[in-house]
Amino acid sequence: MALALGREALGFVLTLLGAVVLVQSLLYFAPGDAIDTLPNAEELRPVLERQWRLGESLPIQIGSYLWDLAQGDLRTSLVYRPGMPVWEVIARPAWRSAQLLLAATLLATSVGVGLSFWTQGRRHLTRPAVWAVSIVPVFLLARLMIHLLNTTTWSMMQADLIARPAWFALPLEDHPLRWALAVSILAIGSGALSEIHSESEGLLRKIRASGYIEAARARGAPLWPSILRNLLPPLTVAIASRAAFFVGGLVILEKILLLNGIGAILWQAAVSRDYPLALGITLLTAAAVGLFRLGADALRLWWDPRRGATA
Amino acid sequence: MPWLGVGLLIGVLGIAALIPLASYDVVADVDPTRAFAGPGLRHPLGTDHLGRDILWRMLLASRAFVGPGLLACLVCLGFGLPLGAAAGWFSGAVAAVIRYLFTVVQGLPRFILVLLALSIYGNRPSVLAIAAGLAYAPTLGEAIFERIEGLRSSEFIAAHRAHGVSETRLLLVHLLWGACRRLLARHLLALFAFLLILETTLSYLGFGVEQPHPSWGNMLAFDLDHDGSGWMPLVAPATAIWLVIAATVWVRQGLAEEEHGA
Repeated sequence: MALALGREALGFVLTLLGAVVLVQSLLYFAPGDAIDTLPNAEELRPVLERQWRLGESLPIQIGSYLWDLAQGDLRTSLVYRPGMPVWEVIARPAWRSAQLLLAATLLATSVGVGLSFWTQGRRHLTRPAVWAVSIVPVFLLARLMIHLLNTTTWSMMQADLIARPAWFALPLEDHPLRWALAVSILAIGSGALSEIHSESEGLLRKIRASGYIEAARARGAPLWPSILRNLLPPLTVAIASRAAFFVGGLVILEKILLLNGIGAILWQAAVSRDYPLALGITLLTAAAVGLFRLGADALRLWWDPRRGATA
Repeated sequence: MPWLGVGLLIGVLGIAALIPLASYDVVADVDPTRAFAGPGLRHPLGTDHLGRDILWRMLLASRAFVGPGLLACLVCLGFGLPLGAAAGWFSGAVAAVIRYLFTVVQGLPRFILVLLALSIYGNRPSVLAIAAGLAYAPTLGEAIFERIEGLRSSEFIAAHRAHGVSETRLLLVHLLWGACRRLLARHLLALFAFLLILETTLSYLGFGVEQPHPSWGNMLAFDLDHDGSGWMPLVAPATAIWLVIAATVWVRQGLAEEEHGA
């Protein structure tokens, strides 16, 4: 098991290294000079030419970035928080976004698995209903849910049924409901819930038809422990493979719901061309996605007795 | 459902191809006096907050994603197909290097990669299409690799080889065309839907198609009154986005069923 995990960890480091090369190459091959695109270009030029090693070749620029990265330096923000180290800009929002991401993943998993126990093996209207709602893109789901909540509340306020709630009108008022809405939309939208639901259904079908479940049934032993033990390891890996989609959805949702997270900052950095900040966040998301997958593989190795025996 | 999906997609492609022939002026159509007019003979889907005809804008907006969607598919084919085929056919070090490239690109969230490319190379439909195509290429390449690697040493390939079929013909005709065409179509449809989502999301957030030019995304980005007056400007583009995504899923499901049945 340790060997298998070591291989996965090495793969993670190599992938991260590749991501640095990729994003640095994107900047290197940009038409013209990357500094020209900045709003305060002439003022920043002398400092940035030295810091980014613009006159040097791509390998030297990559090496310089990696050297800074190894020392924990993601360089400094240019436009969003001029002069502030990127790491300081993103540390706290990254923690908030990680919580949102984790909550959405847990919600999608618990609802998806719960629904699959209910719908597996029978014709059920729930399946197409889950699919129809879940394929709606995250931005559209957010737009529709905000509209629905605001109009319904407004109608009830006009009819004197309720007083104006503290969160009205979304997304302008700061309230925990905004966060709850973000978690729900991220857990449902862009196919997240329907994919986890159908993946879980497929696994359940296989597990219920397997010999060890038949044997447990013949012994009169409870089936749930065996089912869960065989369902969760492959399901965790399947969910981890969706991690990148969750992160993409996070950027959109934080922008729409005005949440102060890493996604909203990335959006600002991209729109205002704050390259060090955008590159820093991109690499952080790549690391987060890689760690999520690594964690899922570790859990699979730990949970699945057959994998443990062969590793 | 697959045939309904095919019909819907052909309809969207047809509208996008023919709509430039129509004489609709996106600026001249503004008339605030008829804002939020309900559906009627003159305006079948009603009007938006600036009094513009929703149906015309819906039809015109199909151009915003159909062209870039097709370009993205071409870019994805150009990179994903040869790289995936080479990895599957040659295996060894070639496959290891190509698959490492795939892993690196797949490790970055696609939406973020496209956003970064738009930020660096300029916010243009061509950049959006190329970035989306390149970001999706590893997914296509990985699928092609797995299919070809699985079939490379199968009995039917050995039999063709014994009959003197050339290696090029084996790869191009028997593996890529014979065994991968439905897989390819499924992935290209997924990419088309991905590009629609990208384009509408970016336009909704103000980083894509800009007003007065219509996109289903920027048509959704306006403030409705809380009393819900004029619901059609919200429902019409939302339904259109859902229908196109659903159509791609229906066709993909049909292709997958056909593939498993074949």
